[in-house]
Amino acid sequence: MRKWTSVITAALLTLSLGVAGCANQGQLSGASGGEDILVGVLLPVTGNNATDGKDMQNAIEMAIKKINDGGGVLGKKLKIEVADDGCDPQMATTAANKLVSQNVVAVVGGYCSGATLPSSGVFKNANIPMIVPAANSAKLPAQGYDTLFLINGLTPDQAQTAADYMAANQAKKVALVHDNSAYAKDLADFAKAAVEKSGGTVVAYEAINPEEKDFSALATKLKGIAPDATYFTGYYAAGGLMVKQFKQKGVFGLFMVGDGSFSEDIIKIAGADQAEGLLITATPTAEFIPDAEAFTTEYKQTYGNLAPGPFSALSYNAVNLLADALKRANSTDHDALKKAIKETKDFQALGQTISFNAQNTLDTSNFAVLKVAGGKFTLAK
Amino acid sequence: MDILVQTLADGLVIGAFYSLIALGYTMVFGIIKLLNFAHGDLYMLGAFVGYTLLSLLSGSGTGAGLMGIVVVLLLTMVIVGLIGMGIERVAYRPLLLAPRLSILITALGVSLFLENGSMIAWGAQYQVYPLQLSHDGWNVLGAQITYTQMGLVLISALLMLGLHQFISRTLYGKAMRAIAHDQTACHLMGIDVHKVIGLTFFIGASLAAGAGTMAGAYYGTVNFMMGFIIGLKAFTAAVLGGIGSIPGAMLGGLLLGMMETAGTFVFGGSWKDVVAFSLLILILVLRPTGIMGEKVTERM
Amino acid sequence: MSLSRKKISVALLLIVLCLLPFLSNNYWLDVATLALFYVVLAQGLNVVVGFAGLLDLGYAAFFAVGAYTTGILMTVYHWSFWLTLPVAMAFAAVVGVIVGAPTLRLRSDYLAIVTLGFGEIIRILAINLSITGSASGIYGIPRPSIGGYVLSGQMDFYYLILIVAVLAVLAVRRLGTSRLGRAWMYIREDEDAAEAMGINRINMKLLAYSIGAVIGSMAGSIFAVKMSAIAPLSFSFTQSIMILLAVVLGGLGSIPGVVLGAVLVIALPELLRSVEDWRYLIFGAALVAMMIFRPQGLWPARYEVSKTASRVSPSVRKGDEADVSLDVEKYNA
Repeated sequence: MRKWTSVITAALLTLSLGVAGCANQGQLSGASGGEDILVGVLLPVTGNNATDGKDMQNAIEMAIKKINDGGGVLGKKLKIEVADDGCDPQMATTAANKLVSQNVVAVVGGYCSGATLPSSGVFKNANIPMIVPAANSAKLPAQGYDTLFLINGLTPDQAQTAADYMAANQAKKVALVHDNSAYAKDLADFAKAAVEKSGGTVVAYEAINPEEKDFSALATKLKGIAPDATYFTGYYAAGGLMVKQFKQKGVFGLFMVGDGSFSEDIIKIAGADQAEGLLITATPTAEFIPDAEAFTTEYKQTYGNLAPGPFSALSYNAVNLLADALKRANSTDHDALKKAIKETKDFQALGQTISFNAQNTLDTSNFAVLKVAGGKFTLAK
Repeated sequence: MDILVQTLADGLVIGAFYSLIALGYTMVFGIIKLLNFAHGDLYMLGAFVGYTLLSLLSGSGTGAGLMGIVVVLLLTMVIVGLIGMGIERVAYRPLLLAPRLSILITALGVSLFLENGSMIAWGAQYQVYPLQLSHDGWNVLGAQITYTQMGLVLISALLMLGLHQFISRTLYGKAMRAIAHDQTACHLMGIDVHKVIGLTFFIGASLAAGAGTMAGAYYGTVNFMMGFIIGLKAFTAAVLGGIGSIPGAMLGGLLLGMMETAGTFVFGGSWKDVVAFSLLILILVLRPTGIMGEKVTERM
Repeated sequence: MSLSRKKISVALLLIVLCLLPFLSNNYWLDVATLALFYVVLAQGLNVVVGFAGLLDLGYAAFFAVGAYTTGILMTVYHWSFWLTLPVAMAFAAVVGVIVGAPTLRLRSDYLAIVTLGFGEIIRILAINLSITGSASGIYGIPRPSIGGYVLSGQMDFYYLILIVAVLAVLAVRRLGTSRLGRAWMYIREDEDAAEAMGINRINMKLLAYSIGAVIGSMAGSIFAVKMSAIAPLSFSFTQSIMILLAVVLGGLGSIPGVVLGAVLVIALPELLRSVEDWRYLIFGAALVAMMIFRPQGLWPARYEVSKTASRVSPSVRKGDEADVSLDVEKYNA
């Protein structure tokens, strides 16, 4: 027993010393990498959202390479350090602290709002600017952090886009369905307000479990209510099944989904026949941006014919915006950089012109309505 | 009226899946008093094995005809049944005499292993079944009932009937019932207890796998976490019917399926699991023997 | 001799832990903080599973009760953190009694399922209720302060949780060696015999369950102010499993073992970042292997005070509760 005690204590001591040692090493390499400007990247690269995360990481790497090939910024090269937030608040906090301890100049990333809420706080405490290409809960800017910048349209903008489209298509009776995730519930709540403001009525407001596969009870219920349009604000896995089962049960009206369901997989899961006519509110991917052909071609060439993901173009924009701000700040100092990002005026990026309002969010929304036609996404208006 | 019929019909399909899984729970519990936490994951495994086999079949150009589907279903049931037997041999048999806590934790470990092993093998993403079942059907009293739904319920009923015949008519079935009653005596009578326990795991696993393949084909998507919640629900069904009782498991599954569909209709989808779990706790506390369970004097 | 050696080791360990913030960077400090949270949680669960032998698969529910109580009281009613702490703990004890009283008389595997169901119900409630901020949870929880000094940095929380962890370890250790602890272990080893000896098993089990709840809730309260934002995702079934894993890995009922288990459960995944996808697979296999080959854990508990007893403790723990009516030779075949 005594042997055990001392062995374990020794092991623990070694572990903690090793930890301390690692820590020092980390700081050392951070300091010795003075030639490069280290940019933190915080994305879900494992878990259920890994696909979108990887698509974003690819675009970020592409942008970095392009900038470095063009001579870098401030005479230095950009280098990224990727940390995995796994879309989990606890993991995101640890990952954010990891980036902070590596002395990153700025951070690009944030996919799930739930994970970005706490991680943005870590960067706020360290005074490190964070540019968020995807997460768009209205709660993010509501925190009032001066280090946090959002370049995706916000949830209220998306809800408004959906409500406008419904109003324009005489859909007065609207059913809202969310999957109980922070993001989807937010969007459904804003959509409710927007629909009611434009004179429509919300005839059903339902929640489902994200892992659910059987929506027959919901379909039966909605069929009885007969809404003019149903808007599902959750993710594609449930969305695809819902489209399919609603079609089979013959639920009436338009079917619209939010940008969490903006994925080729929703067509695959629903089946091309059932997905025909499906509407999506989303920020258009590179394929729909007129001046982004070069980006799409290059992306496909670099990543083995893989098409860019829903947030690839935005991630690409985030890096370019950061590089531009670094040039204008002419320094890697956190305060100067923060100020430069804040002062961004009409920055021309793929599919959007970026200027920030008082909340550090876009002053014009970039949402559009897409429609599935012939098994493919097309612009609806 | 049409809503009621529709709800009952939809509930019947889910209930059939619950029943098939609950049977495995009940059989294993009846024979060695083990709550096999990993049982729901065998359902998931069945869905994935079926997915891979169907992909191979449709990939080779023959296309998945009706015959193909039946062959895939049977093959999946055999493969996963063997995996179930393997799990019993490797993880549970060495622990049959250990404290109950140990074997429960082992079952939990097996469950984690199967879930994450499947995630590594097939990916964390939802996979889409390479099969689209027909959406045509009959209109019964205003409710839409598809041929697929009827087919699935029919297959499930056949499987359950087969099981019932096996248990009540064959020698092995007799041995199972005997072991559930008194293992030591069975051993003295010259019954190969190990073999029969292995067979029980095989049957339980293959029924769950059958449900998994059918659910995969019916809904169209599979992923590695699909067994967790449904495993709990099936357990609820087994308890509802009376754990250890085979007709109880069938009845419990169908009842739970219909109650859940009705509950979703009334309370909304996000409360569905709360309804099921509260029901489970209530039954365990108020009437642990369920609807058809026998009164057993057992404690701890 | 052995005692003084042990004391020196413990003192050394404590010194290293106190100095850690000065030796380590933010990242490892965060990992260490998380590990200390797990030490507290695992010690709480140790009382329930390790001492009293009640398999609780929904322990994260009490972690959630603490976190949400503090979160709601601080954001909605603007209480001071230090006031919410006892309230959260008392509330968790009440919840523990409400859930435990009807269910603790159930068989151990039924109890496991009931606690699992209870854990899921708490999580689903947190997602669905508006008072808990539904799916996005509660954010903007203020920082606690001590006499004007606001705890805000990582280091502050590290020391806070370090103190709590040391207290929890001491408390659980004392509980284990007390009259209560002996009663729990008696119940765990042989319930009938315990009852025959005049131990009220239901009350004792309820007490263990509630004490576990109180400790878990305390960790939850601190977690809420440390993260300043809480969401239902942090209180999932996986969280319950990881805490249980820490207890089982370290050694059921063993105080130092459970500490070691908690550190391993947090530190290993961080060290094994490169094999991210494999880690739960490895954990699952480890659980099975552990139960078969070393059910007493990495650092087993000593049950008897005498030195000879510590050597035979594994066999003492194995088999005695086996209510499966089988004879041994049959299964050696």
